[in-house]
Amino acid sequence: MSLYGLMAVFAGPEALIAAARGMRERGYRRMDAFSPFPMKELERILEIPKTRLPWAVLAGGIAGAALVYALIWYSVEIDYPINVGGRPLHSWPPFVIIAFEAGILGAAFAGFLGVLAANGLPRYHHPVFNAESFSYTRGGKFYLLIEAADPKYRKGVTRGQLTRLGAELVEEVEA
Amino acid sequence: MAEASANSPAVLRGRHDFPEISGRIGSIVLSGRLPRHFWTAFLLCFLLVLLLLYSITYLIAVGVGGLGINMPVVWGTMISNFVWWIGIGHAGTLISAVLLLLRQPWRASINRFAEAMTLFAVAMAGLFPILHLGRPWFFYWLLPLPNVHMHWPQWRSPLVWDFAAIATYATVSLLFWYMGLLPDLAVLRDRARSRPAQLFYGILALGWRGSAYHWARYQVVYFLLAALATPLVVSVHSIVSLDFTFAITPGYHSTIFPPYFVAGALLSGFAMVLTIAIPLRWAFSVKDLITLRHMDNAAKLMIAAGMVVAYGYVSEAFFAWYSGEPYERTMMAQRALGPYAPLFWIMLSLNCGVLQLLWFRRIRRNMPLLFAIAVAINVGMWIERYIIVVTGPSRDYLPSDWGEQSLAWLDFGILFGSIGTFFALVFLFIRILPAITIFEVEELAEEEGKIR
Repeated sequence: MSLYGLMAVFAGPEALIAAARGMRERGYRRMDAFSPFPMKELERILEIPKTRLPWAVLAGGIAGAALVYALIWYSVEIDYPINVGGRPLHSWPPFVIIAFEAGILGAAFAGFLGVLAANGLPRYHHPVFNAESFSYTRGGKFYLLIEAADPKYRKGVTRGQLTRLGAELVEEVEA
Repeated sequence: MAEASANSPAVLRGRHDFPEISGRIGSIVLSGRLPRHFWTAFLLCFLLVLLLLYSITYLIAVGVGGLGINMPVVWGTMISNFVWWIGIGHAGTLISAVLLLLRQPWRASINRFAEAMTLFAVAMAGLFPILHLGRPWFFYWLLPLPNVHMHWPQWRSPLVWDFAAIATYATVSLLFWYMGLLPDLAVLRDRARSRPAQLFYGILALGWRGSAYHWARYQVVYFLLAALATPLVVSVHSIVSLDFTFAITPGYHSTIFPPYFVAGALLSGFAMVLTIAIPLRWAFSVKDLITLRHMDNAAKLMIAAGMVVAYGYVSEAFFAWYSGEPYERTMMAQRALGPYAPLFWIMLSLNCGVLQLLWFRRIRRNMPLLFAIAVAINVGMWIERYIIVVTGPSRDYLPSDWGEQSLAWLDFGILFGSIGTFFALVFLFIRILPAITIFEVEELAEEEGKIR
């Protein structure tokens, strides 16, 4: 079994942030942090790129609205044109209402499925789950993972650095 | 963050730590040790579920004649129930979406069950238009599906818009709710000790591991879904009101209806939030997580929405008179003095009278009294929906055709059956899923410096 990385356990959010910043300054790039709730500072420290998902949501919304509007247009103009009380076949104001609802539906699906796809979920087997100490929130702990693939990674050195940054425990994680 | 002054109680009370918060909320579900009367109350609700199933079977077997509807009043309790339940759902979306966008810290402990309340209320609401169809098994004709008749829905009909709105609302509420649940399901997965519980929560959690990269995307999309749900919730009840206003029936044909319906939805919805939250915080001893501040704010929103509803009542009456239409005027006079007058005045005294008690802080902070007011408003709002639905057609343009509808046992069987089913679903939800959002309460405790 190969080594995936080193998992360091911290007691609180401040300790995790300090450690993430410290490791970043020492030049580590392939890191990940795990916390029971979102922490804004981590995004800056880990230089997490801004997600492009809002564009997916916008595209989903436009696609939903356009598809449904096109379906309605096709049904009233081409497939089954029927004169109801002399109203124009393409009477757009009522059609916009349904297209609006479909747009919201498309955007919501794009957002939900998009965030799952971008995060690679569902994924039931991930190396971090191999760590004995890793329990997402049982003990209210905060975790920093340094991947073995990081160019700066040196077995003993990295472990020492993590311990000096206040890790309660440092554990090797099998891939 | 909100200042906890003497006047406004804190959003969270006392000091906490992370294992304690997740443990306490999680153990309600995982230990399965529920308050003594939990299952007694569930049994009562379950009997009502059986009543609902019996009533629906009877309705489908015998037909809509089993209800009290008759010409000219063919919209009866099915439509009132529908509007009432949809309205109840709206407060859940408002709490979870609008308060998230406004970054209101008091949302965190009540949004989960408010969203669950939305889902179950929408599930109940969805039943009624279908049951009301007479031949419910053809409801799918409202969908643009290729079927044997090769027809299309009538896109210009508010009933088809309604179908689109409700279906979208139910789906988006479900996605939003599930997305909010993901991190908490992972907490339960990691805390569960029995193998079936680990499997159940593990599969539902989709392998969530709280990575910083995941949280970054998660938060952006969660906010976007909230931003989408906000116009959606307004559009849904507006479209429901268009079912009425697109008809020229006296009492239906009014431009005040969309905002008036949305305000009514919020009033009844917040009343239902309080109806569930007050027993919940008492029974599960989470008074330090769901604090008086939550109850107080919900009561304030009730009075805000209630005053808009009162304005709607005044506006309806005024424009009936101002229109100069004899039929509009007669309908309004008959509503106040005719056969439905007792219901009309009960509605006014509950929705406009009893509501005014909430101006007093002492009453807003008195839980038994606040609970009683919330239940009274729920009753008042149901009566309001009923009054709106039936008084218009009962005084139509053809005086020789005027008539009232009666209420048969089946009307009550389905109404109380749906109420029982709703609460049975709420009980099951409390048993199976965390009723308070763990990760947001932890985040809030961290931000407010309430961590030991």
